[in-house]
Amino acid sequence: MFHITIAGKNLLFLPLLLLFIQPVAAQDMYIIPETELEQDCGLTLSGKVIDHDTREPLIGATVLIEELQKAVVTDEYGNYHFHNLCRASYSVKTTYIGYEEIRSSFRLSSSAVRNMALHIDARTFGAVEVVGGRMVRQAQTTETLAGRELEETRGLSLGESLKKLSGVSSVQTGPTVSKPVIHGLFGNRVLILNNGVRHESQQWGNEHAPEIDPLNAQELKVVKGAAGVRYGSDAIGGIVMVNPKPLPDSTGVSGELNLIGSTNNRMGAVAGMAEGKLQQLPLSWRLHTSLKKAGSAQAPTYNLNNTGFEEQNLAATLGYRQQKFGAELYYSYFHTKLGFLSSAHIGNLTDLANAIGREQPEEAGSFTYTIARPYQDVTHHLLKARGYYKTGDLGELQFTYGLQENRRQEYDRHRNTGDSPQLDLDLQTHTTELVWEHEPVSNISGSMGVSTIWQNNTYTPNTRALLPFFKSLTVGAFISEKWRKDNLQLEAGIRYDQKSLDVQRWGNSRELLKPAYTFHNLSGSFGALYDLGYHVSLSGHIGYASRAPHAYELFAQGLHNSAATYEEGNPNLVSEEALNTMATFTYHSNLRLNGELSLYYNTINDYIYLQLAPEYVLGVQGAFLKARYRQADARFWGADLTADYAFTNRLTLNNKTSLVYAVNRETGNYLPFITPSRTDNTLRYSFENRESSKFSDRYLAVGGLYVARQSRSDEQSDPVLPAPDAYFLLHAELGTSLSLGRQQLELGLVGNNLLNTSYRDYQNRLRYFANEMGRMLLFRVKILL
Amino acid sequence: MKQAFFLNRFILVLLSGIAILSACKKNDPNPVPESEKVEVTTAVLLLVPDGKGQNASATWRDLDGPGGQDPVMENLILKANTTYRGTLKFLNESNQNALEDLTVKIRNTGHDREVFYVVDGASLTFTKTDLDRNNRPLGLETSATTTSPGAGSLRVVLKHQPGLKRGNSTIDTGETDVDMVFPVVIQD
Repeated sequence: MFHITIAGKNLLFLPLLLLFIQPVAAQDMYIIPETELEQDCGLTLSGKVIDHDTREPLIGATVLIEELQKAVVTDEYGNYHFHNLCRASYSVKTTYIGYEEIRSSFRLSSSAVRNMALHIDARTFGAVEVVGGRMVRQAQTTETLAGRELEETRGLSLGESLKKLSGVSSVQTGPTVSKPVIHGLFGNRVLILNNGVRHESQQWGNEHAPEIDPLNAQELKVVKGAAGVRYGSDAIGGIVMVNPKPLPDSTGVSGELNLIGSTNNRMGAVAGMAEGKLQQLPLSWRLHTSLKKAGSAQAPTYNLNNTGFEEQNLAATLGYRQQKFGAELYYSYFHTKLGFLSSAHIGNLTDLANAIGREQPEEAGSFTYTIARPYQDVTHHLLKARGYYKTGDLGELQFTYGLQENRRQEYDRHRNTGDSPQLDLDLQTHTTELVWEHEPVSNISGSMGVSTIWQNNTYTPNTRALLPFFKSLTVGAFISEKWRKDNLQLEAGIRYDQKSLDVQRWGNSRELLKPAYTFHNLSGSFGALYDLGYHVSLSGHIGYASRAPHAYELFAQGLHNSAATYEEGNPNLVSEEALNTMATFTYHSNLRLNGELSLYYNTINDYIYLQLAPEYVLGVQGAFLKARYRQADARFWGADLTADYAFTNRLTLNNKTSLVYAVNRETGNYLPFITPSRTDNTLRYSFENRESSKFSDRYLAVGGLYVARQSRSDEQSDPVLPAPDAYFLLHAELGTSLSLGRQQLELGLVGNNLLNTSYRDYQNRLRYFANEMGRMLLFRVKILL
Repeated sequence: MKQAFFLNRFILVLLSGIAILSACKKNDPNPVPESEKVEVTTAVLLLVPDGKGQNASATWRDLDGPGGQDPVMENLILKANTTYRGTLKFLNESNQNALEDLTVKIRNTGHDREVFYVVDGASLTFTKTDLDRNNRPLGLETSATTTSPGAGSLRVVLKHQPGLKRGNSTIDTGETDVDMVFPVVIQD
């Protein structure tokens, strides 16, 4: 989040700077020295650190109580807080880079507010420059999965990992395919940014998981609600950002090795990382690779036949960084082969009815690592080149080019067609983006830019033309600005995209049709963030985004075997438009209770969805359901809550709850496939670190996830099978750091579905056929090299 | 000076990006019409009466798979109170230049397959007369008997039952390869 360059020779400041900045980056307000004495006297000291002349808050300043050796870093409003102080006299030292330090002594007899005004230090000013993004807080609700919580998801797919965040769930197809859902919206409506590049693949398919390796990520960040301004107007549901660790900025070579194993599907994964920085040149590099292999998953009472998978990943980064300019080259390779539950791949409507009627899948089989038909084989390449150039004191110009190739091959259950796939799609995407981020000019900071996306989709001859040949070019321009004064921050942005889409397809009487479309899409956002004092902030955000229909929604034509459905596009679709209002209340930096509540109300006009038609489609195999893409005005609303309550310094209760409601505004009916209400409560105990022990940072957590039955579902929304019952799953996590001599290890154990509960999830497309996975224990070892 | 140099570089990179974009637009292939290998496109049921009488046959055909052109099916016209020897043939006619008879292939893998005949309305019964290598009924060859005149339908279902076929397998076992309905007329 912080980029620091030292302009002068004051390199001595660097470690000091890092000390100041890291705690903020980790979103942790405290630096707690190991020697800290337990005390619980209950007084609070808080206040603001400001520039004496401009009265601007100073972000990242350090406030130290010398008697206690207790230090905190000011937040993005310049606020600091100390809790648990006893009545006593204290000397407080306040420091900030480029400013003279101040010491003040006072007697604390009750909770107090003290503002610290610092003077610029004429000697050091100018020598140190803090560049790049600050710890920016947005009015729009964002959630981040990083650190320990991210470590606990190691070994899971991207979609499964993101479920840890409130308001995020996933649409699944069996145990191997999981796609993120934000506030009930998914697929083309959720934009995924992989290392800063729009991830472009066949996202229209519910059984197409994002082709991204989460083991390479240092943080997973989710922006909730319509967020089209910065990365493209189609982000109606939100944005998922998968961010790798920044390249190292100190010389030397280091690395880590992760070993992950699990019960149930007997998965094994190895991930290795090596990185370094050259001494002579400002060049840094990183190599990351991971391999995963899993056998068939186990439901509590039977084997889920043919649900194994394997995955190979490679990522290489090379960075060149100087004061004025820098460049980065990144390449990643992703390949997966994943099996589909064999009994879910069915012939026709009668087979569907039979499969639903069975207690368990017809073919149970036994555990195996072998992947048979039906399976998917997907490869994704990403090449990214990025450069930045500092435009004097005004800001920074950034250019990013991305080249992606996505090859998706799907092998049907049994066709005597040799080894060739039945579906073989190839999507090539070139993205370019030129952005200028400017420094604050009279309290206004922001960015503006232009971007292009060029795509070409083809399929191999003699495979299914489920998605036609198409080419599309999207050109967009945006500007987004932020104004900040005192406790108030206002932000606004606007974007325009023009998308041209040229399709080539064969008509019913074998004539080549070339329909062409041009879409004009506007996005906008307006947000306000108000800091109501030292513990409370309020934010509101209104986002508007409009998404052009995807070629699949326009021209899909073909069988979807796992649903016995013949899917048909609708060439008359228009762009869908979403107006999303969100309000967030944050209660922070308190001793016991902290949390965030956000409420949202999302109106979507011309919402595109797949509706089952009353008539059937006949083929040699018999009758199939027919589903057509339709549009209707829809409304989504709901709430997300995250709350922590600290009983003691060591014992914390965490709650994550999310509610989503959705209706078709035209008919008043429910919309299919919307996330049921869910709440996850976890009690976590952190053990005390003992100097003599080899173990440190030990913790134990036990929690339960409750997912309600989707009661907002009826025969119209789910004609094939009613929504499954509510379920409760017990989970536990434990972890520790271990030092063996000079070797540092991190160990962790995660247990999911500990009671081995048999259940089915509403958002799993295979809920018609089989139960979810049973108990699973995930072990992980991280070895720092 | 240095700044200007890098600004130039920047523009160069930008331009080359655009060049790559436009280069990609040329010499693209056109889509090839879909000819996904639909295994069975056609079924022919031939009924030869024991003794005197006319042969009856009916064909069910869907060349382009589900969707697109609707399937075409013929009526099966039979004589009352007659016993027929029935033969069922499956063909792949999706490529007009290389018609393929799939019946032999189905018979050779008959231990994993079975044909079922379901009559509705008409007084017609089917008995399977052939066996697979495990001596279980297969159903490509049958004996069909009619009684009183009338009309109804005949549903012919070919099931793929890999590892699932038993002596008592039913129409609900396994996955459906073929499921087609012929209108049936039984005349006096």
